[in-house]
Amino acid sequence: MTGEHPALALRGLAKQFDGKVAVAGVDLDVPAGSFYGLLGPNGAGKTTTLSMAVGLLRPNAGRAWVLGHDVWGDPVGAKRLLGVMPDGVRLFDRLSGAELLAYHGLLRGMDPAVVDQRAAELLDVLALGDAGRTLVVDYSAGMKKKIGLACALLHGPRLLVLDEPFEAVDPVSAALIRDILHRYVSSGGTVVFSSHVMEVVERLCSHVAILAEGTIKRVGTIDEVRGKRSLEDVFVEVVGGRTATGEELAWLSN
Amino acid sequence: MAVKLTEPAAPARRVSARHFVRLKLRVMGNNFRGQGWRIALFVVGAVFGFWLAASGFFLFAAPGLADDDRYALMVAAFGGGVLVIGWLLLPLVFFGVDETLDPARFALLPLPRRTLVTGLFAAALVSVPVIAVLVATAGLVVTAWVLGGWSAGLVAVVGVLAGLLLCVAASRAVTSAFATMLRSRRVRDLAAVLLAVAAALIGPLQIFGLAAIRETDWTRLTGVAEVVGWTPLGAPWTAAIDVAQGRAWAAPVKLLITALALGALLLWWSRSLESAMLGAATAGPAPTTRGVAGGAVAQLFPRAAGWARRGRFGALVARECRYWWRDARRRANLITIAVVGIFVPAMVNIGGTGFTLDEERGLVAGGGGASPVLLSLSMVFVGVLASITLANQFGFDGSAYAAHVVADVPGRLELRARFAAFSAYVLPMLAVVAVAIPLVLGEPGWIAMAAGSLAAAYGAGLAVIGFVSVLGAYSLPETSNPFALNSGAGVAKSAFSLVAMLASTVAGVPVVVAAALLGDVWLWLALPFGVAYGLGAALLGSYLAGDVLDRRQPELLATVTPRR
Repeated sequence: MTGEHPALALRGLAKQFDGKVAVAGVDLDVPAGSFYGLLGPNGAGKTTTLSMAVGLLRPNAGRAWVLGHDVWGDPVGAKRLLGVMPDGVRLFDRLSGAELLAYHGLLRGMDPAVVDQRAAELLDVLALGDAGRTLVVDYSAGMKKKIGLACALLHGPRLLVLDEPFEAVDPVSAALIRDILHRYVSSGGTVVFSSHVMEVVERLCSHVAILAEGTIKRVGTIDEVRGKRSLEDVFVEVVGGRTATGEELAWLSN
Repeated sequence: MAVKLTEPAAPARRVSARHFVRLKLRVMGNNFRGQGWRIALFVVGAVFGFWLAASGFFLFAAPGLADDDRYALMVAAFGGGVLVIGWLLLPLVFFGVDETLDPARFALLPLPRRTLVTGLFAAALVSVPVIAVLVATAGLVVTAWVLGGWSAGLVAVVGVLAGLLLCVAASRAVTSAFATMLRSRRVRDLAAVLLAVAAALIGPLQIFGLAAIRETDWTRLTGVAEVVGWTPLGAPWTAAIDVAQGRAWAAPVKLLITALALGALLLWWSRSLESAMLGAATAGPAPTTRGVAGGAVAQLFPRAAGWARRGRFGALVARECRYWWRDARRRANLITIAVVGIFVPAMVNIGGTGFTLDEERGLVAGGGGASPVLLSLSMVFVGVLASITLANQFGFDGSAYAAHVVADVPGRLELRARFAAFSAYVLPMLAVVAVAIPLVLGEPGWIAMAAGSLAAAYGAGLAVIGFVSVLGAYSLPETSNPFALNSGAGVAKSAFSLVAMLASTVAGVPVVVAAALLGDVWLWLALPFGVAYGLGAALLGSYLAGDVLDRRQPELLATVTPRR
């Protein structure tokens, strides 16, 4: 399924908030069929970058293409191919899981019969069928992530953009989400997701980009980026963390 | 055995109310930082508040300035009583409480409940309305001082301060208790009904009160004022008047009554505060209902929206219909429309009659003064008020609106669907108003005109609101308290609503003019004209505002997403 266009292409994306630079010119090419991890510490601009890439936030400069469709020039073409799970964004959580899926499906202009069939399957696979008519607002954090993923997958997008899909998810749900994403990529889809959990990225991704202070610091296939070291070592070196000496916070130990 | 850590030292300094007040001021200040329009709105709100306060001051000071002690007791008892009741009910019905300091934020701090209650109480005192009431009731001190010398004046100072504390405590206790009730889904339906009944009582009470004023003579009213003066509603305000009129023994008793009421309210508040702090944690998961019938799509569509096609438009309408019922914040708005929609036209038309007759023939009540113009004017008000509810329709959604941006929902479709879903609830209510008010007035022939005016004003209101909701949206806090507003948003809310209300009223004026000029023909022409005018305006509004929405989707999402 590798077409001539990259699944996601970003050129010079930049955003300032009240004069503070959040993202300072990001260029990125996500090859179709890849499993792409966007790594970065808190506040690096991951969410801002992804929001601009999918059309949720208007950039101050730069452009984004989804499979050749300009996100800001041809939103209809781009958004049709795109499934998004934003982080920290509420769902329409006063609907039950099934209602929410039906809503997303119909909003995408899908045939009601197809919506019904896919919603039932997704609820079943994600083990959300037992929740019945429970409103999404009463779901646990892991269930909310799963229903969010189901909403993003429902219309069969070619590119899936997920912001922190494994945040606050228990190991069982995380394994389930990983399985589904794997299956999606192996059947030709492309996944871009942000995270700051090295282990997950190392395990899943074919490609990695490390983002810090609003710019891309390292980019490439996972083997190119980490070389002979562990991804965590590379990450800490790039981001410039500090290591505790044991002298400070002495009052914590007795 | 647990590992022994260092013994946490006893707190070096005690936390006092002062810290809460400073925290509130700091939070308010930070909210203003770099937001010029917020400061401007705050100033406008403050000026308006003090203008009201000044008029209140002269009302309370009038008996003293006129040096006439006949009405002093009445002004103190009724004026003060209205203040207390206002503080009790207005936050529930209209304005919401300022949740700058959300009790839930203090849940993890090792603070004794007493410290927390006094602290939050002190912080609640730092607000424009409190200062405005203080200014207004200072008039009472003037009255007492003039009539009874310095001793009465001093008692008045104590009484006014105690009364103010009582007002604030009452508003906090009641909203907190209601919020707790609404928070747990199991009783929220009951709570909504209770709230609606309580609010609905304002109307009849006021009509009853007006009738009483018309029909009773003043001496009997003084008797009522005396009784009110012995309840917590009037006790703090009338204590000084008693001193001035030579019943010095009554003052300590009344102040004691006030203190007891204040204590009881604070106790009640601290009880409900505890559950507010535990918040959603205790609400627990709603009982799981199994055995769902039908597919996902069938579940989404409520019966009220069963007519809609299973497409984009239908889905939007269905979701909105669900939300107007399931979201406590939205439902509170629906209840407001229901209550105000009945009682304002009733007041204007019946009360207005009473007043005109008062001047001409004295104490005769009855119909005859109501006119088609007055009726259609009040109907325009109701129609506009109903449409105003949508002024922040995107703010209700909050960041969930992102789903629409990602799915690229066309703006025109979006607005039409939102109008349709809201109308599914509101049009039946408006129909009841249009039938009920003319019947109460004894003029069934006016029903068609009332309905026409309502339809025209509501449709024109929707057209204006289409723009307001796209351009003037603001974020609502993501708490489960349906009465909560972001600090500063209260003023923003009223300012935008005011602008929208003016614009919508102007758009609704043609029907009033027609009612004035066309006479009897209009009684029948109004319905077809009004419906066509309203429908046309709403469609045109959604058409034009929809284009604006298409261009502004990401910006709109940013404004309705709460700042974290």
